[in-house]
Amino acid sequence: MDGVRSDVKVVESPRRVRVFDAFLRLFALAFTLVAAVVVGVSKETEIVPITITPSLPTLHLQFTAKWQYMSAFVYFLVSNAIACSYAAASLVYSLAVSSSFNQDAVVLVLSILDLVIMALLFSANGAAAAIGIIGRDGNSHVQWRKVCDMFGAFCHHFTAALVLSLIGSSAFLLLVAFAVLGLHKKPK
Amino acid sequence: MASTDKPTDPEYNKGAPPPPPPPSATVNCFAFDVTLRVLLFAAALTAVVVIVTSDQTKFTVPLGIREVKFKHSPAFVYFVVALSVAGLYSIITTLASLSVIWKPNLSTKFLLHFAFWDVLILGLVASATGTAGGVAYVGLKGNKHVGWLKICNNYDKFCQHLAGSLAVSLFASVVLVLLVWLSVYSLHGRIPK
Repeated sequence: MDGVRSDVKVVESPRRVRVFDAFLRLFALAFTLVAAVVVGVSKETEIVPITITPSLPTLHLQFTAKWQYMSAFVYFLVSNAIACSYAAASLVYSLAVSSSFNQDAVVLVLSILDLVIMALLFSANGAAAAIGIIGRDGNSHVQWRKVCDMFGAFCHHFTAALVLSLIGSSAFLLLVAFAVLGLHKKPK
Repeated sequence: MASTDKPTDPEYNKGAPPPPPPPSATVNCFAFDVTLRVLLFAAALTAVVVIVTSDQTKFTVPLGIREVKFKHSPAFVYFVVALSVAGLYSIITTLASLSVIWKPNLSTKFLLHFAFWDVLILGLVASATGTAGGVAYVGLKGNKHVGWLKICNNYDKFCQHLAGSLAVSLFASVVLVLLVWLSVYSLHGRIPK
């Protein structure tokens, strides 16, 4: 009797968990990929008229905003790319191994790696958000002027990428949380 | 809460044979757990103290007397708040972890809660480190493209404090990762039988 019950549990509940797990990984993959792409394609060139004195003709200077110019954005893009490729690899890995024997070890290893990637993504989001806020508001104490009034489209792109990446990192957080819950719910 | 309490009691009353092995394993794990949590508390406290004492006033010729404070940047304020929360959290969980050493029958439920909250606090500390690190890097190197001047050549003490604080908070996030691993590992260790 005991053996039958434990067999049923082993077959049935991990299956549902596995589908949910794969779905979350796909979710994280999609969001981090889109975030990385949105940052990667954001580039804006503006021609700014500058008047030095009214007597001289107005100068038209060309300014470009690119993600490569700011190290925090480079970090953001690289982290999202790493998270995206990790999500793809772990999705394939968990699907390939899922039918074989050692389910618990797989869950353990994957949740450990998920955690590291989650921390990476969160720190990248923090860095990018901090630089984005300085770009939006400036910082008068150290004479850093705001740039978003000039490059509106770039800043909007970047805000969108930040939101997408936040959703992606929450997906990783949920993955870790459900892995822990799954380990806990196993018959003791 | 009551519904979750109930199942543990009958299980305990049933007087199943296993109890002898788990306690020893549990106590070992939780001793390590307490050590890591005390480390986390020390790290969070150090990071907060170091960044709060970083204010620097300096006389520069063109600008007169200027001062830099961590309060001038919202990123550093967020950093201080996040690390303070992590410090408070580590006090509470140290006490909880100690209580588990004295009363081992609560351990699985506590492990689950620890694992959840540790993950959240890890997210908080990691994002705070990233935030402060991003701003501090611009302060260190400046950015020619948008005309943000570096400030670390003028305010050396401020930047040294920032760097120290960031290093300690990075250490705190590593400790948190280890804590989650420990919780997951000991939850995993309870399954096989």
